[in-house]
Amino acid sequence: MRPPGVIPPGMDAPDPPAAPDADPVPDADPDAVDADTGEGELERTIGLTGGLAIGIGTMIGAGIFVFPGLAAENAGPAASLSFAIGAVVALLVALPASELATAMPRSGGGYFFISRGLGTAPGAIVGLGLWLGLVFASAFYLVGLGSYAGQVFLEAGIALPVNPAVPLGVAFGVGLTALSLFGTENTASLQNGIVIVLLVILTLFLSYGGLDALGVFGAERTPERFFPPGGLLPVLQTAALVFASYLGFAQVATVAGDIKEPSRNLPLAMVASVLVVGVFYVATIFVATSAFGSARLGEFGETAMVEVAREFVGFPGAIAIVVAGLLATFSSANASILSASRAVYAVSRDDLIPSAASRLNLQYGTPHVALGLAGGPIVVLAATGQVELLAEVASFLHLVMYGLICVALIQLRREQPDWYAPSFRCPAGFAVAGAGALASFALIAFMQPASIGVGAAVMIASYGWYRYYAADVELKGDF
Amino acid sequence: MTDPRTPTDEEQPPTDGGEAPTDEEQPPTDRPTVLVPLEVLEGESLPNGTPDLLANAHVVLLGYHVLPEQTATEQAREQFGETAMSKLGEFAGALEAVGATVEKRLVFTHDKQTTVDRLIYEYDCLAVLVPNSAERVESVLVAVRGTVSVDRIARLVAGLFAGTGTAVTLYHVLGEGETDADVETLLNGVRSKLVERGMDEDAVEILIEGTEAPVDAIAGHGEAHDAVIMGETNPSVTTFIFGMPAEQVAERFLGPVLVVQRERPDATDASAE
Repeated sequence: MRPPGVIPPGMDAPDPPAAPDADPVPDADPDAVDADTGEGELERTIGLTGGLAIGIGTMIGAGIFVFPGLAAENAGPAASLSFAIGAVVALLVALPASELATAMPRSGGGYFFISRGLGTAPGAIVGLGLWLGLVFASAFYLVGLGSYAGQVFLEAGIALPVNPAVPLGVAFGVGLTALSLFGTENTASLQNGIVIVLLVILTLFLSYGGLDALGVFGAERTPERFFPPGGLLPVLQTAALVFASYLGFAQVATVAGDIKEPSRNLPLAMVASVLVVGVFYVATIFVATSAFGSARLGEFGETAMVEVAREFVGFPGAIAIVVAGLLATFSSANASILSASRAVYAVSRDDLIPSAASRLNLQYGTPHVALGLAGGPIVVLAATGQVELLAEVASFLHLVMYGLICVALIQLRREQPDWYAPSFRCPAGFAVAGAGALASFALIAFMQPASIGVGAAVMIASYGWYRYYAADVELKGDF
Repeated sequence: MTDPRTPTDEEQPPTDGGEAPTDEEQPPTDRPTVLVPLEVLEGESLPNGTPDLLANAHVVLLGYHVLPEQTATEQAREQFGETAMSKLGEFAGALEAVGATVEKRLVFTHDKQTTVDRLIYEYDCLAVLVPNSAERVESVLVAVRGTVSVDRIARLVAGLFAGTGTAVTLYHVLGEGETDADVETLLNGVRSKLVERGMDEDAVEILIEGTEAPVDAIAGHGEAHDAVIMGETNPSVTTFIFGMPAEQVAERFLGPVLVVQRERPDATDASAE
């Protein structure tokens, strides 16, 4: 009997994957995950398309369907620059994260890299921070989702006595959590479909709007002054706010254990999904700000894009964007809830929180405790309806993790421990990681004081929990 | 014959030659490799009669557990791996007791088909068992569709039943433009291949019939037998809607069905180079 998972030396050498699609063939990597357990192997079922769908599907909801109004109000047309800055920061982190993910293709993503590379204390701060960061992000997406669901009533001409965004967001939060507890449907293919529909709608809309804005169809629209009155400062502050639109790429790393041919697919999925959404974001702001003045966009709030579409294409355009907005925020919220539960699993596996948190329900095969720990606080936070605060706290907690991912890369490249054998190497590793770390931490400085306060409080509480509960856990280099 | 073996598999006996170190007096040649997938944690156990059916086979015993996508496979392995492994060990024991050679694989997956396909390639499996129970294995219906997989069918049938006294009925449904004579030639050809491989000529019967619905016919005839062996069908729109014929047959026949796999393209590449 061959003990499953014993790999002969050399099998995990970073050979460039030969035939991308012919892969019922067992390649070296699946075994790398199972080494030394004797308790079964893990099938890798997510290909490049699936990875891209996770990245794009998680991200695209926020940047296009929630932020344009808020961002334009703060930074005017230069909000597109804010989105571009976000994309650069995300790319600077995505490359080091890719290298680490191919060296440690495990569930848990950034938390795993940091706890193994830098030690338990930073690991605990990031791990618990990631869980709560995703909780904040999910709540933020849910409020966005609620806004679009409310817009449906508006378009249908049904007047509601109160703004339905928050109650609807809360209802969706409860529904999605229940769905993930009991649902065994194929959520991945659903996600792929949603992303494709979204990209088609957005491409059509943005091409039309872009051409129109450039004066191809009618009178050229006069763009307002590019920079807002405050100069560069509001642009950077907006970049910090809208960075929540880029949180999704690291989600790809949290399912690293499921990705086929991780050495090829992980870096590709992370970098490409950032590039794709970055381009869409910048184009969206350009189109939006050429349709309306920034102040006007700000008044429209979360559903500003619906008005932009109405301006260009009339009622059908508005409907298309409402549908797209529903799909996008739904998929972002759903992906984040699932990631939050995986984050809970990751810290519980390492005994940073009681192991009961990662119990699976045999009947449904779902981690019910972890999902509850994700869904509960998400619903509570969504009920606050504080879009900007939720987004910034989510960004804060993620940025801390991103910065530390870069630090972990530098640390690991210096120490060169035996187990560190990434099959993808970040080009100009030290420079990219250094810049990524600086940029991540710098962006935090431009957030509102309230967001920084809440984020810092979460970090301190996480550290306190670590000292109280898990001070004797040693994770550095632990496999 | 291609021998798609990866360097990881050095301990696994090739289908034609070599022997599993675990086994005693089996002849060292031509044990047909059969994949037996069991959903161990869902309470699926080795159905009655399976050991008898596969006593002469090299069994790849696949215990699998399908998880929803929101669950990390790692998480399930941590919690259920040990239980599942020990169950798998029991089943392997039952198979080894009657002389089969067995390799156990336990896989936590999000998609059963991906896992099954991967293992078919990895071991170059001749057939996959749709596990249903049989009281005894005395006669077997072998549905032969055409010339394509004849060699593989012959290897499987002779490998499993040569010298066991099990009766084999070769069955073919007449297609459009086929004459009885054509088909008789085809089936007689299969019979002589079986005899070449050590089957008793008297144990092999031939049955030809014209019918509208092959699936019903195979399942119907199957009732007079203890197991059905049939070929794999290429996926198409019809199979997408109605399911693969082999699955349909298994559902109606309720006994074990061995699905003979197409020759897989050479699978050596990825890790070999």
